[in-house]
Amino acid sequence: MRSILFATLIGLLGAAALHILIILAVPYFTGNDAYTRISDLGEPLRFYPLPNETVAGGGLINDDPEMRLAVCALSVAENPVRLYAPPGVPFWSVGLFDSAANEVFSMNDRTAVAGALDVVVATAVQLNAIRKALPQALSQSILVEMPDEDGYVVLRTFVPTATMDEAARAFLANAACEAIDQGTLE
Amino acid sequence: MFRIPLLVALALAITFGLGTFSAVWALKATIGFGSIALGPWNAFPTAQTSRADPYAKAHRARDGALLFGSAEGLVFRAANDSAGQPLSGGCSYDIVGLTPQARFWTLHATTPDGRPVPVARDITGGLNSWTVLRRPDNSIAVHVAADAQPGNWLAVPPGQPFRLVLTLLDTPTAGSSGVIDLSMPAINRTGCANA
Repeated sequence: MRSILFATLIGLLGAAALHILIILAVPYFTGNDAYTRISDLGEPLRFYPLPNETVAGGGLINDDPEMRLAVCALSVAENPVRLYAPPGVPFWSVGLFDSAANEVFSMNDRTAVAGALDVVVATAVQLNAIRKALPQALSQSILVEMPDEDGYVVLRTFVPTATMDEAARAFLANAACEAIDQGTLE
Repeated sequence: MFRIPLLVALALAITFGLGTFSAVWALKATIGFGSIALGPWNAFPTAQTSRADPYAKAHRARDGALLFGSAEGLVFRAANDSAGQPLSGGCSYDIVGLTPQARFWTLHATTPDGRPVPVARDITGGLNSWTVLRRPDNSIAVHVAADAQPGNWLAVPPGQPFRLVLTLLDTPTAGSSGVIDLSMPAINRTGCANA
């Protein structure tokens, strides 16, 4: 009888250890995390507007009917990445996340220069080069350091009335998420 | 003579059975620790940060949802009404009260697993702070029901359970612990079709 109790106790201890192990390991093995789902949409370094209806295959959707959003997977391994969108909607917000979905940076139109989205995402080394060269094209940009090389960006805009839908879609369609050529930095 | 192998098998069965089951259950049951509960509404202001607890990180990796950054907004979800009863499309509800300070907010319903609710295409799926009708004291009263209602109406699928999602955009509450002092609107059940 005592040995059965002992075996149960060992089993419970093992279960606790396995529970912790699974919880800690899940983020590396799900294959369903936000970064993987965004990378599956297609080529990196461009914004993909998300549909509002459920799509076949369980792809990413925008679940808020009052919002429109676009996502972009990016990597700063080679070149810095510039996020740009002209003003023209009542509200926008942008969130930059690393590949493990940790928030790196977020802002909205109130904190932007003249209401336009203009952010440069770079590694620490690339940022040093930009600050040194201080190119004219990036003089208004907000510089953000990426601790990781890979990540993704979510750009959201608010659609309070159906008539503003067109402007919101145009805003997302015109938003740029592109690598900066080394040439422009000199 | 099979005593020792049996005991080892028992220990292993408990380890793998209970360990796996409890981990899966924990990931389904909760988004993580550190939630803010205001009446029936729940928010997770740090779920998208690197400070999130391991349960929150495991949950968001499994869910693959696009979370709001702290300067973007804060999402409140409700699965129950203010009396603690689960929200059901067989009943009608009134959402009454003031929303916390924010530049804008949006309100919509989802299915229990977070998908858009199946309502008719020509019905708008949500309400927001620009178009909602307010009472003289600036508070809101939203009727949540499967059938059309006068005033502010949020359509839900008849007879099915649903969740309510209130998103505060650009809110000072997102980054601070001051959110505890805030009041969210109450969700009052006004009646059920077959009860």
